[in-house]
Amino acid sequence: MREPFPDRLIRRHGGASHRLGLRTLYILPSGFGWLWLLSCGVLFILGVQGSSHGALLLAYLGLGLFLLAPYLTQFNLQGLELRCGSPAPGFAGDVLPYPVQATSRDQRLALGARFRRCEGDLAWNGSLEPGQQWLAVPWRPSQRGLQSPGRLRLQSSAPLGLFVCWTLWDPPAPQLVYPARRPGPVLELDRPQPRERHQAEAGADAQAGGSDHWRELTPHRPEEGLARLAWKQLARSGERYAKRFADPRPRPHLLAPDPALPRERALEHLSARIWQLAASGESYGLVLGNQTIAAGSGSAQLERCLAALALAAP
Amino acid sequence: MIEPLARRLQILSLSLLALQLLGSDWASPLCWGSLTLVVMASLKLAKAQRPADLRRGLLAQLIALGVLAGLNPNLGPGLVQAATGLVLVAALLAQESGGGGNLRQMLNRSVQLLVVCLPLLVLLFLFIPRLGPPWPQAELGRGRTGLSEQLDPGAIAQLALDPSPALRISPAQEQDLPPADQRYWRVRVLDRFDGQRWRAAPAQGPAQAWAPPAPAPPGAAQQLWLVEPSPLSALPWGGSGVPLNPQITSTAKGELLGPWQTRVRRSYGLAASNQPPAWQRQAPARSDLDFAAGSNPQLEALAEGWRQQLAPAQRLAAAQALFQGQPFRYTLQPPPLGDVAPLDQFLFASRAGFCEHFASAFTGLMRAAAVPARVVVGYQGGSWVPANLWGRGYLEVLQQDAHAWSEVWLADQGWVRIDPTAWVAPARIQAGLRSGLAGQWADLGLLSQGLPWLRPLTRSWTNLDLAWNQLLRYDQFSQDQLMQRWLGPFRSWQGLVLVLGLALALALAVWILGLLRPTPRQEQQRRRLDRSLSRLAPLNLVPQPGESLPAFCRRAAAQLPELAPGLERLQTSYERLRFAPRGQERARALELARSLGAADRELAAAASRLGRRPVERLQSPEPP
Repeated sequence: MREPFPDRLIRRHGGASHRLGLRTLYILPSGFGWLWLLSCGVLFILGVQGSSHGALLLAYLGLGLFLLAPYLTQFNLQGLELRCGSPAPGFAGDVLPYPVQATSRDQRLALGARFRRCEGDLAWNGSLEPGQQWLAVPWRPSQRGLQSPGRLRLQSSAPLGLFVCWTLWDPPAPQLVYPARRPGPVLELDRPQPRERHQAEAGADAQAGGSDHWRELTPHRPEEGLARLAWKQLARSGERYAKRFADPRPRPHLLAPDPALPRERALEHLSARIWQLAASGESYGLVLGNQTIAAGSGSAQLERCLAALALAAP
Repeated sequence: MIEPLARRLQILSLSLLALQLLGSDWASPLCWGSLTLVVMASLKLAKAQRPADLRRGLLAQLIALGVLAGLNPNLGPGLVQAATGLVLVAALLAQESGGGGNLRQMLNRSVQLLVVCLPLLVLLFLFIPRLGPPWPQAELGRGRTGLSEQLDPGAIAQLALDPSPALRISPAQEQDLPPADQRYWRVRVLDRFDGQRWRAAPAQGPAQAWAPPAPAPPGAAQQLWLVEPSPLSALPWGGSGVPLNPQITSTAKGELLGPWQTRVRRSYGLAASNQPPAWQRQAPARSDLDFAAGSNPQLEALAEGWRQQLAPAQRLAAAQALFQGQPFRYTLQPPPLGDVAPLDQFLFASRAGFCEHFASAFTGLMRAAAVPARVVVGYQGGSWVPANLWGRGYLEVLQQDAHAWSEVWLADQGWVRIDPTAWVAPARIQAGLRSGLAGQWADLGLLSQGLPWLRPLTRSWTNLDLAWNQLLRYDQFSQDQLMQRWLGPFRSWQGLVLVLGLALALALAVWILGLLRPTPRQEQQRRRLDRSLSRLAPLNLVPQPGESLPAFCRRAAAQLPELAPGLERLQTSYERLRFAPRGQERARALELARSLGAADRELAAAASRLGRRPVERLQSPEPP
């Protein structure tokens, strides 16, 4: 996307940190500044036509403020130092915060920061107090992978709004972007597919025959009540035993992209499924071509699987 | 997002503009234009959803303020206008600073900005070339009170009831003014008579501007004239002198015409001149003898007798004898004269009138006796207000001092001022209207006295007002003179000087604003501590890197025990000020800051005492 004028004429500034100074700050009158100047002209004509010193003084005062404004606006930004943070991963299509550390000795008023490639409403706005402060500049990546948000524009028109002063910086740290979460079919290896699963589940029910799935027997205590009493053993041996139950351990999900779908779409479905399984605490693994991630659960497993999805070959 | 403080400040500035509108001249279309702008800005503010709406409303207010500054140029409205400008800048700061401050901070910041802008403003005011009005000025309104273009019987008597000021004259000192009975301030010459009233001959276009006055002699005494809005475009003056503004011209009849509209207060300077004014020697026109024949038969018969028997100067003496010999009475309430032969009625029946009756009858008599004559209306007298703390002295002339007199043409003297009122009521000319009406309690009862206790206040205010207008009386001519004096042969460098001056003023403003930049409270405290500790540097006591304040104080006190009390107090005050809980910090900041200041002074005194001792002892203290 082509950058708007005059930013496209400005050479790029990269580097892990970016200090705002005379070589990196740019300033132009704002739209309000031009209107202000026009109003001063109107006041001047009023003063000359009506031989009114009051109107003339007001016009000159407005002009004086206009002449002073660029310095004040530039001083609001000059000396500020920006440093790249470590951006946390996120999903494509979501609004992600890009961390920028701002270090300043003075207070900075009414700043705005946004990435040039983003739509208009995604911006960080606020003032900075002396010291270090983190700015979370929002952006919305559209693709997975290690993505760079592009050119950051930090600007301010404080304190008078007559001039807008800005800097452009390309923060070098890329942000890991997972595929967008789109619910849909995924391939589950080592597990019957939906039709087979139905038949398997029907057979298993028939085999279970309503019997008790207890795992072991322990001596029965009165407070355990009669519900757990093993009546068969009582009838056979006359001794009172209590049944100890255990849920059948679920088999882990081993997921793979559905080969019937386009690659990116399949990865997005996988992303949604993994997110869902992680949320429900289930165990899962991932097979992506030659890469296999063993089944597991927890946040580390989630990050491992999503990172694999993000960086998977197209 | 719209900042609530910015919205409140704009409401305040709109209120100030409305206040100024209330005191403006509603006859002027500009006043209505200003009202329209204020209403539009109010609606914009009420419906504002975005900062851009607020900014546009602010610009509309700025232009309305400029229009009002043109309509109300006096000092009082000027102060309100300055306050409005201050609030507008504060509103802009509040909006553009992202809500980072309270009302007091915004107003402080606004004052700072306006103060540092003053040098820029003065430079622009002095150096930007003065231009004349690009378009012809329409007569947009009329003054509220004052003299008019024609002299109706009783018109000036009505004006005499008005105690409001008409004009002020500010010479260097009272001695520069003529004596009290010679203080005639002419405004308009009425040279057409229709049998009942006098009026001025219609203007004859630009040709009426008769003679450009000669340049003022160097070092001549100068007077500042300040004239309130009046229905007449002609300016009052003493009849002699040179206008400092070349746009002011004198007509052949001795009227002074300026480039301004009558609806505004006018201010101009006159330099004294040794030359007799040219209009005095301007021969009369045939129309200066015109008299509505048959309109006043008795007067005409008397004058015809004089014309046949007496020389012109003797006709004048005969008229004086008539006025002084008959029981004429000076009064504010003359009987009505009727529409038929009013001058006959006055001269031979009622014999009671105000100045216009006397001037009108005398001028009629002279014309009927073949002596060119005309009526002049203006002001006579005025009271001197001495200089005080607020400004220089001035002569205050009220509408009450409105007057009419005559001028007659005598071949060997030119136009000569004759005041028949002075023959009848000399006290009026010597000491003012009240003296002229002495003993006439009915007339005196009509005169408004105002509030006596308010007079010193109003006069002091007028002193200030005059000083303000003296400052603002900076026209093209004044600029030429100033540039000539400052730049001399390098006059063409005016633009370059302006640019360099602006650069310097900008640098100064930026530097001052840098100094005024608000620093956090902790930073201020740290600077104070550094300043205090720097007093010990000449004694070779400098904090080491990483050394804490208590450790440094202990070391310094051990080395120079005389410093111990001061150091202990400094350390305690600083720590209490720096580490006090947030709530207490604000409440006790002043007290603790004083304590820190006292500790600083104590330390400075001790350091100074020690500094006067031999250096060897200071550098090599004895071991404890």
